[in-house]
Amino acid sequence: MFYKHVCKLVLPPVLMFVSLLLISGAPARAELAVPPGVTPPVGTHAGEDVPQPIEFPHDIHVNINKINCMYCHTYARRSKVAGIPPTSKCMGCHKMIATDKPRIQKLTEYFTKKESPKWKKVHDVPDFVHFSHERHIKKFVFDADLPVENVEQVCGLCHGEIKAMTVAKKNKPLTMGFCRRCHEANGGPGDCWKCHK
Amino acid sequence: MSFKNILENWSAFRKDAEAGGHHKYDHRWGMAINLDVCTGCNACSTACYAENNLAVVGKDRFEKGQAMHWMRIERYWDDADRQFPERGASFLPMMCQQCGAATCEPVCPVAATYHTPDGLNAQVYNRCIGSRYCSNNCPFRVRYFNFYSYYETWAEPLNQQLNPDISVRDKGVMEKCTFCVQRIRASNDKAKMENRAIADGEVQTACAQACPTGAIVFGDTMDPNSAVNKLWAKHEVKRGDYLSKKPKVNAEKRGYRIFEELNVDPSVMYLERVREEI
Repeated sequence: MFYKHVCKLVLPPVLMFVSLLLISGAPARAELAVPPGVTPPVGTHAGEDVPQPIEFPHDIHVNINKINCMYCHTYARRSKVAGIPPTSKCMGCHKMIATDKPRIQKLTEYFTKKESPKWKKVHDVPDFVHFSHERHIKKFVFDADLPVENVEQVCGLCHGEIKAMTVAKKNKPLTMGFCRRCHEANGGPGDCWKCHK
Repeated sequence: MSFKNILENWSAFRKDAEAGGHHKYDHRWGMAINLDVCTGCNACSTACYAENNLAVVGKDRFEKGQAMHWMRIERYWDDADRQFPERGASFLPMMCQQCGAATCEPVCPVAATYHTPDGLNAQVYNRCIGSRYCSNNCPFRVRYFNFYSYYETWAEPLNQQLNPDISVRDKGVMEKCTFCVQRIRASNDKAKMENRAIADGEVQTACAQACPTGAIVFGDTMDPNSAVNKLWAKHEVKRGDYLSKKPKVNAEKRGYRIFEELNVDPSVMYLERVREEI
């Protein structure tokens, strides 16, 4: 009788706990560090793969070569949009570096034909949203005295761990609730018309 | 607004507009319109169409009262004694008065229209369900309803000039003058980036910018040094002051707000037209 109870009541939770341990232990991935004093927005999103004209490897640029996000996405600190670098900026390095790789040859082809690769937008907020990169970078980097080399932590709040990806993929929901919870936790404006236009 | 919030801040919420109201403001955007120099040329209205993605509805729908002009010029013929009465029109630019105690706000069932800390009556298009209560409760008739999806039939080259800083509204949504909130927002962002307050004259609405005679002055009425605040003070128009209707004694004090006796606390002051003594 007692054994039966053990089987019915105690065993399932124990089994669940063990399986949870196994599941959570399985994908051992280094989480992106959070900037000090910031409550990160909560939420994940399983974004689709976006095929780009050139399969741009973020991991090689950021993780191996340690290039700052704002070296290429220059406009993040001074405009609403982070911006895609002009092909000439890519060629600044890739005139010399890795010229034998097919992706770079494709890039060089674009550059010599004076065309831009037609990059597809991955992190797209709706048209009725006013989102300013410069205001967020100012608050979380320049006003918070965060070293600029750690800017990827701030970008990662909304863009996730880009340095682990090749082509960028949307892995945060970027919904209104996602924005609102972060604004509440970090003292952002709560007025509808600050973001809705 | 939670129940706890109501209980705790009851006395603050009961504060009348004459006593300053219960809102906490960062800015209170306001206007002064000098009717003496207004020529009724409609440049303000045209500028508003261009700035705010307003739909051109056509003659038939205009006659049905479905026009979408956020800024309109009202014409009055109150000078019947003149030789050619039909030429004696006086003009009054009419747009959302951004009332401090707006009648449109409490009737919205989904709180799509509300009061911002900038002293504006906001209209959140995503939240609007198109009940049109706000429009029916507005004493100025300055709210406009999208009866059709105009973005589908936007005339071909004109879609290139749509302003990306403001939504193109869809069918079933109420809209109205925003005091060009996209310009206020842009100036606010710029000022914050430079760690300073918004300077007077930095924000200009499209109508004020387009007015050829400079009849429209726009600014922050909370800023004591702003041009609009000086005009309000000069003509002795005060917010919350709706009972002390003074007789107009001279041309220097001709400021009034429309429907002041309703105590809706409009943010637009008009300066009466100066006429010859009859």
